[in-house]
Amino acid sequence: MAAQPRRGGISLPERRSASKPDSSIIARITSSPIVSRGKQAACDAAFVSKKLLRSTGKAAWIAGTTFLILVVPLIIEMDREQQFTELELQQASLLGAPPTAPAHP
Amino acid sequence: MAGLVPPGTAIPADASKTAHTKADEKIDYMNLPCPIPYEEIHREALMSLKPETFEGLRFDFTKGLNQKFSLSHSVLMGPTELPSQSGETIKIPTAHYEFGANFIDPNLMLIGRMLTDGRLNARVKWDLTDNLTVKANAQLTNEPHMSHCMVNFDYKGKDYRSQFQMGNAALFGASYIQSVTPHLSLGGEVFWAGQHRKSGVGYAGRYETDKMVATGQVASTGMVALSYVQKVSEKVSLATDFMYNYMSRDVTASVGYDYILRQSRLRGKIDSNGCTAAYLEERLNMGLNFILSAEIDHKKNDYKFGFGLTVG
Repeated sequence: MAAQPRRGGISLPERRSASKPDSSIIARITSSPIVSRGKQAACDAAFVSKKLLRSTGKAAWIAGTTFLILVVPLIIEMDREQQFTELELQQASLLGAPPTAPAHP
Repeated sequence: MAGLVPPGTAIPADASKTAHTKADEKIDYMNLPCPIPYEEIHREALMSLKPETFEGLRFDFTKGLNQKFSLSHSVLMGPTELPSQSGETIKIPTAHYEFGANFIDPNLMLIGRMLTDGRLNARVKWDLTDNLTVKANAQLTNEPHMSHCMVNFDYKGKDYRSQFQMGNAALFGASYIQSVTPHLSLGGEVFWAGQHRKSGVGYAGRYETDKMVATGQVASTGMVALSYVQKVSEKVSLATDFMYNYMSRDVTASVGYDYILRQSRLRGKIDSNGCTAAYLEERLNMGLNFILSAEIDHKKNDYKFGFGLTVG
């Protein structure tokens, strides 16, 4: 089979040509086209799933570190700001009450 | 920010509502606001999208001796990148101390910085009259032919600004910017570099309202830069920037945010070159600021993190 031009780096490996079948039953079964096709399919599936796992892992790493740099400080700062606002509100309500209490004897 | 449209002509007291609103919308072209200086046209976008990220430790201490005079001490320890031909960045750990003195007057501002590796930075800004300003910027080094200096003369008119600049390697430039409507200002610049025998021309425009600022700049060196900043609330603003070089076919787009909270200021951006950066300034106490800076380049796998303290 002629080698086809590859695109990118992710492609299936070339297929082996089928070898001549032997005389015994087991050997004939194991070298029958169905079994060899099945083995080839299993190899291809393993190859593809490894590549998929690696690219998913890479994407997850990039997404995770970018999230860590961009979003986590933001969440922390917004939480602090909210706490600060609550504290100010509390203090304002505490300090605001006494002056408004009427001091008529 | 540009002020709101001023009411134009005087209207009689018994005018109807429609005449009043029409007079409000009539723009007084004789009273336009003064535009932003030409070199600061991308100011809001640069503030959000290009924080001064650094790598390593940074410590700044500023001590005011007088109302006008102050001294500053700065320590910076961290790797610095050396430009190398092979494409791999070489980082060498360096440490230096910088001593600076500032004199700030309403009319005169003098800033000088001296580093331990022999570099001297000096900046002068002198307001000769209300409208004419002279600015000078010099950087002197020990190595020969690496020092440079630039002098600018700025004239500020009623609704325009013009600037003429001279640099030490026979570099001349002039720029002019004019307010065309209360929100729009347009300008242009020319420059001539004597050493490389190059000259160029550029145009820029800026449209701003209370909520957003949009700018565009084109130069004959092949650079096209567009930016847009939207002020989502008084604490948050989002910015985006697009830079295209039609000579070298280089495109960069970036999006960023700027959160100005009471105790801190957080800026983050992500780039189309796979580069993301964040810069946090947190106020620990009165006059004490804690700085964290992070920059990750996913394409080159280059990570830079820095932390620092600013006192005074």
